[in-house]
Amino acid sequence: MKKFSQLALPYIIWSIIILLLPVLLIAFYAVTDSGNTVVNFSFTLQNFAKFFTDHDFLLILWRSLSIAFKTTIICILLGYPIAYFISQCKDRTRNILVLLITLPMWINMLVRTYAWIGILSDGGILQSLLNLLGFKSTQLLYTEGAVLLGMVYNFIPFMILQINTSLSKMDKSLLEASSDLGANRYQTFWKVTFPLSIPGVISGIALVFLPAVSSFFIPKLLGGGQYFLIGNVIENQFITVGEWNFGSAISVIMAFVMMAIMYLVRYVEKRNSGNRKEKKA
Amino acid sequence: MKKEKRSFLKILMGLMLLFFYLPIGFMIVFSFNSSKSLTHFTGFSMQWYTKMLSDASMMESLYITILVAVIATVISTVVGTISAIGLSKSKKVVHDLIMQINDFPLMNPEIVTAIGLMLFFITFNIEKGFTTLLLAHIAFCIPYVILSVMPKIRSLDPNLADAAMDLGCTPWMALIKVIVPQIMPGIVSGALIAFTMSFDDFIISYFVTGKGIKNLSIMVYTMSKRVNPSINAISTLIVIFITIVLILVNVVPVIREKRKVQTTELKEKNKAPRIIAGIVAACVCMGLVFVQKTTSSTKKYAGQTLHVYNAGEYTGENLLSNFEKQTGCKVVMDLFDSNEQMYIKVANGEAYDVLIPSDYMIERLKQEKLIQPLDQDKITCLEDINDSVKNLSYDPNNEYSVPYFWGSVGIVYDKTKVSEKDLKEQGFNIFLNQKYKGDIYLYDSERDSFMMALKALGYSMNTDNEKELAEAYNWLLECVNTMSPEIVTDEIIDNMAQARKALGLIYSGDATYVMSENENIGYYMPNKGTNIWCDAMVIPQSSKHVDLAHEFINYVSSYEAAYGNSSYVGYTSPNTEVMNDLAQNDFKGINAYNPIRTNKYDEVFNYNAETRKIMANYWAKVKIAASNAKSE
Repeated sequence: MKKFSQLALPYIIWSIIILLLPVLLIAFYAVTDSGNTVVNFSFTLQNFAKFFTDHDFLLILWRSLSIAFKTTIICILLGYPIAYFISQCKDRTRNILVLLITLPMWINMLVRTYAWIGILSDGGILQSLLNLLGFKSTQLLYTEGAVLLGMVYNFIPFMILQINTSLSKMDKSLLEASSDLGANRYQTFWKVTFPLSIPGVISGIALVFLPAVSSFFIPKLLGGGQYFLIGNVIENQFITVGEWNFGSAISVIMAFVMMAIMYLVRYVEKRNSGNRKEKKA
Repeated sequence: MKKEKRSFLKILMGLMLLFFYLPIGFMIVFSFNSSKSLTHFTGFSMQWYTKMLSDASMMESLYITILVAVIATVISTVVGTISAIGLSKSKKVVHDLIMQINDFPLMNPEIVTAIGLMLFFITFNIEKGFTTLLLAHIAFCIPYVILSVMPKIRSLDPNLADAAMDLGCTPWMALIKVIVPQIMPGIVSGALIAFTMSFDDFIISYFVTGKGIKNLSIMVYTMSKRVNPSINAISTLIVIFITIVLILVNVVPVIREKRKVQTTELKEKNKAPRIIAGIVAACVCMGLVFVQKTTSSTKKYAGQTLHVYNAGEYTGENLLSNFEKQTGCKVVMDLFDSNEQMYIKVANGEAYDVLIPSDYMIERLKQEKLIQPLDQDKITCLEDINDSVKNLSYDPNNEYSVPYFWGSVGIVYDKTKVSEKDLKEQGFNIFLNQKYKGDIYLYDSERDSFMMALKALGYSMNTDNEKELAEAYNWLLECVNTMSPEIVTDEIIDNMAQARKALGLIYSGDATYVMSENENIGYYMPNKGTNIWCDAMVIPQSSKHVDLAHEFINYVSSYEAAYGNSSYVGYTSPNTEVMNDLAQNDFKGINAYNPIRTNKYDEVFNYNAETRKIMANYWAKVKIAASNAKSE
């Protein structure tokens, strides 16, 4: 039996080399000023100082967080009712609906985002439609709204699927018990269904918020050349400017901010569920 | 009340599905459009499908996407399953530690994983290309497999394997006959997730690939700036293909949970393996159909592969395939957005045979000994090249380079909106004229933007005076803060062809194309001077096929090849005869095609490491300021 543990040995070595080492390398680049080599280097905190003393970089970080926040809220507000509806359907219908939501995800994200360019561009179908409805022609593509739309479009399926999973797994007898005890549908939803679906919402948030903060091709395709989010700043540092140390430092900052936020979300969730248990006791 | 709520949800569901499928439907419809337009359907045609099938690089990217996905899925499923079994029997400390590391690619933003892998490959001198792409995909696929197999192993009776061995099984048999069948659903869902993650991946692939190896995502990303309905065609095929696969396996719902999959359950145990079998089989067929392996020929360069690194949308339609036919070699072309992007790759040791950078970058590559002198005995094309583009300051005797295209930078404008008087009086300062607020394009290039600002201020564009550079920086800041310009790259071509804004900064070659599409568009070179530039072919030190590279340079400069190239792209050919002929035919009456003029203020860019750095940093800040100005 013990022999089986040896099976993990290759992966232990592999994961240290190809998963752990790269992360350490980013941290290493972030605190050095070696240029793009590791032969001569010296340690410095200059890269971090450069980021935090610059109003513009902070503003971009703030904007990335705020647009990811908006995306997440919209995904919850729209995704929750949809997931709820799906979970209420009969098995067959539910499977079909889940398939219909999953299917677009098989198509390349970039391709789907690219398709939006045609829809949103000047003289495109959406603008013509708005004109017909009597709205003045406004620019749709290359605006913050377009970026938000692209993010919601790309990430909302994750939210729907997560919430749907947690709603479908719910023990239906709890709902019966609730109505037996005299709760109306409204009360049952808010007191029983909703709290039990929170874990689904939380993992949905992780799946929407994290990629939304760091996405760089959605802002680039739908936001135009001057719509910068933190992901674009990082890409720009690595691909065009060539300052890898500074780029690494921004990556480290971003990773930390996001970890802190996810930790906070989980903490709040734990405390709330803890409170509920106490009340029950 | 209840009914009402249901119907409200039903409507919402319907709208959501509409939202999901609108872009896909749009894509399918416009893949049959007879024109290039993405906004008007002008008629039914299959031309984009024919174009797509004949586009070797597109087919190759499809092939690579599928190949990488299949190999990565197979390897990561096998390795992931074995490792998960091993880890579940390991000491708790080891198990917990490895599971933490395993979580990295799932919990970190993808761009962080991507950068980490890129730094890893470069630091340890692993040449970026197919191998690194595959390694990276395996690296981020295994964690998904482990995460979906692990819960199944945990729910297994720990005595099961012991019982099997008591009954006479070897440990290996116990593993294959007892454990694996029990955890099959976890393995299958892990494999499915791995396949889709790999098939869809963009960010990680984008950072770790090299040598012109691209998957579909990277191709779309590099092509997306200029309208190319072939993308719609290839996407439509993928949509149809996936739908068919799904129908074939009986419309099995597969809940695909990207990332966090700790509690994945597969409902339809029996059907799931069939999906995989179906997908793999279909992929292999597709790969076989699309990729016609070049059969071995007897030509001199048969079997060699020439790696060319060129700017995007900068090559005539048949240039590469004709060269391949003539020599029997295979050409792989990688595309860059900017000279700087190219430089970073080349300086970090990626091997190419021919590069096509701009003047100042050639000077830099020369200074840093990244390119080699041409073998003058093998270069037979120089006499056909126009004297105006020979022996320029960056390469005085054309020892290192042969011109590819050349031209100027100027103002592209809509004649119905912009008065010529304004242009003549203000030159580049027209970009600060409030009359055109919100109606201008800037070009996303530090060099060209600083050229514009410095010329507007009356300085030399090659200045190294920090005060002048700071003034130019402020000029650009004023522009982005008060004029709300749009900063674009190649999008300007289609947008100006449709006269979406009044004016913009543009390369003469792009202006040529725009003017040939729309007769109301003009091109103006300010009297205070502008940038005369030349992009030329050079051979990097890392070239593995130096003879073939010389052959390529001669071929590109020949009348036939240069004519095709120049008439397709619209940039000015350095081949004198081609230039004169095209100026009389295809581009008659278009002043942008002929950049020759005598103005003592016109300059060619020189390379200066210090000013380059200053400009790069300033420009990054200008763009960020523009981004902030727009959102406030």
